[in-house]
Amino acid sequence: MPMYQNGEVDPAVKALEARQDEIIRKLYELKAAVEGLAKTVHTPDADLDLTVSSSLSSQTFSSAALKGTTDLDSLLGKDHGALRDIVINANPAQPPLTLLVLHSLLCKRYRVLSTVHVHSSVASVPSQLLSCLGPRHEDSYARHLFQLGFTLIWKDVPKLQMKFSIQNMCPIEGEANVARFLFKLLAPYPSDPSLATMVDSWVDTAFFQLAEGSAKEQAAVLRALNSALGRNPWLVGPEFSLADVACCCCVLQSGSACSAPANVQRWLKSCENLGHFSPAKAVLQ
Amino acid sequence: MTKEEVQGATEEEQQAQSKKAQKKQQKEAEKAAKKAEKQAKLAAEQQTTEEDDFAKDQYGVSPMVQSQQKLDRALVRVQDLTPERADQLIWLRARVHTSRAKGKQCFLVLRQQQFNVQALVAVGDRASKQMVKFAANITKESIVDVEAAVRKVEQKIESCTQQDVELHVERIFVISQAEPRLPLQLDDAVRPDGEGEEEGRATVNQDTKLDNRVIDLRTTTSQAIFRLQSGVCQLFRDTLTNKGFVEIQTPKIISAASEGGANVFTVSYFKTSAYLAQSPQLYKQMCICADFDKVFCVGPVFRAEDSNTHRHLTEFVGLDIEMAFNYHYHEVIDSITETMVQIFKGLRDNFQTEIQTVNKQFPSEPFKFLEPTLRLEYTEAVAMLHEAGVEMGDEEDLSTPNEKLLGRLVKEKYDTDFYVLDKYPLAVRPFYTMPDPNNPKYSNSYDMFMRGEEILSGAQRVHDAQLLTERAMHHQIDLEKIKAYVDSFRYGAPPHGGGGIGLERVCMLYLGLHNVRQTSMFPRDPKRLTP
Repeated sequence: MPMYQNGEVDPAVKALEARQDEIIRKLYELKAAVEGLAKTVHTPDADLDLTVSSSLSSQTFSSAALKGTTDLDSLLGKDHGALRDIVINANPAQPPLTLLVLHSLLCKRYRVLSTVHVHSSVASVPSQLLSCLGPRHEDSYARHLFQLGFTLIWKDVPKLQMKFSIQNMCPIEGEANVARFLFKLLAPYPSDPSLATMVDSWVDTAFFQLAEGSAKEQAAVLRALNSALGRNPWLVGPEFSLADVACCCCVLQSGSACSAPANVQRWLKSCENLGHFSPAKAVLQ
Repeated sequence: MTKEEVQGATEEEQQAQSKKAQKKQQKEAEKAAKKAEKQAKLAAEQQTTEEDDFAKDQYGVSPMVQSQQKLDRALVRVQDLTPERADQLIWLRARVHTSRAKGKQCFLVLRQQQFNVQALVAVGDRASKQMVKFAANITKESIVDVEAAVRKVEQKIESCTQQDVELHVERIFVISQAEPRLPLQLDDAVRPDGEGEEEGRATVNQDTKLDNRVIDLRTTTSQAIFRLQSGVCQLFRDTLTNKGFVEIQTPKIISAASEGGANVFTVSYFKTSAYLAQSPQLYKQMCICADFDKVFCVGPVFRAEDSNTHRHLTEFVGLDIEMAFNYHYHEVIDSITETMVQIFKGLRDNFQTEIQTVNKQFPSEPFKFLEPTLRLEYTEAVAMLHEAGVEMGDEEDLSTPNEKLLGRLVKEKYDTDFYVLDKYPLAVRPFYTMPDPNNPKYSNSYDMFMRGEEILSGAQRVHDAQLLTERAMHHQIDLEKIKAYVDSFRYGAPPHGGGGIGLERVCMLYLGLHNVRQTSMFPRDPKRLTP
């Protein structure tokens, strides 16, 4: 820096230089961290590398149902000889449609004891929300006969919350994250990391832009959906995935289904034809 | 003086003493003279006051109310003193909570149950100097009749429940005078634990409170607790009556102990002895056999257990339910839990002021519950405890610490302070408990918990005389002693179940209090029989 060799160095400039050096150092650190992360992503995760079919069409459920218990042991860890109860705290002002759809999928795969409660923090709940998990199971008096408990509690919570194993897991917040957890009990994510990331990305888009975004954002997402569905029958690859469940529910909830572009309309029809979405539609009415 | 006379043994001593005594006598005489002088002065003063006190008819001690006259005077309730009544002249009867004289003014806090209001006696054209003095000298806790004008205040009175108005007293009469020394101060009795220590102020310990229960019951906290308790009883009755239950009254003097002989009180009964009922169990069941279908009973229950814990009393109020069901004993669980939820909801909706009043002294988290009530099975509870690192057998009974821990685990996962634990191991339940048809190790029995403490223990009962005999023999019970009980099931008995709750425990746990004596008006325990 010959310019400053005359002894005229301005202290302000010196400070600026120091800041620049600091920023560059931080950037290097960040780069190293990202590279490290990228390595872990490229190595295939053992948990995801299951050979079970990732297809979620209703035909495969009947065959998968037989493997129920062993699957749960490998997915959720050791069996303690008691019901594994998934507790979901949801605000009745925002019924979690995605989770209702996933619940009906879980019921096809496992013996699920479904119960709906109202927490004392909410005064009253509409009747369709009380019956949103369907009629009581005829064996519901004997809890030990079930593989999985699905306990939905209507509660005054700012964010949807899931509590499962309180000793080992912190409560999981956000409908999207709970949906990811429940979906993994049904089928593994695509083993291709890029496809798996796309599923996650669509789930985020659904919950942040479709469900909470402005009209402008919603329109943009619908356009994106339309172009993606022009290439494939489902959102990510050839198989029905969590991306479809989340986006479909959020489109239904936002009320923009009627004004959606052609490919989206066709895809919504296909989703409905699978028959998993009736609980969500019942709640919307 | 007499003491000295007695003690005077020797001459010398006597002389010395008499000298002393003389001095003393002199002193006393002086004192007496002074006293007389003072009295005379006082009398003179009084005379003069009586002479020039223009307000002497406006205050004083009323003659004892012996129902001499029936005044047509409406007494206003303190809680009704709101700004709407401003500038009205009203009468009211209240206690003097505190009085504080300040020159020509005297401030009183008048209290009626849990409400209070500030009153002011000021020298002016309505009240004389003597009247202010009189008002200032009224002892704490005296009951007074006051005529006063309601005035709005500019600044809220933070220390009173009626913050927007004060009373300008025109007349004040003492109806009942309290003794000047109180065994405990009400303000000390309602001070939250710990706060007194910081400020160097007194707090009253529980035994002192209980020894002077009448005064302690006047505190805002006690007033709120027992109003809420009355609410629990009321809600219990209303809910069950609506469900088609019949209230029954059962004898408390019984000829044989119903559950084990150890913990019953024996009373002499003419030429033989009798027992005080430990629970109306037997009589509830007999009513079911007598076709009453659904019954409940509110009444005293006695336990002669010599345990001095925070949750045991020797006499408490039992709320007992027994009902016949159609096919599954969960019909009974549902009925009981629905009743409990109705009680909790009723308290939450109608007793918010009382709950908050108690919370001021004894802070606690609001009581949380689910509707329908959460029901877990015993095996699940054991699994939860295992996961938390507790070593216990599958058929072992829950110890009190494990009960509390389980309560915390359930609260963490489900966020409820009330839940049912179903399917207890048969081995830990009484002989009349119905075994589980699918697994003979377990039984059709259940406990209910509030804030991790058991409040109800119930089960489906054996309604078959033969099975009952078998179970009794298995428990090595003398069949002769329970003959009458077994016989009641020989002539057709419907399947039935039930349970009993302690009223005091429910109130204690609902409010998050730490001692059952706080929710018993006149508690009875192994060490306390009075008041």
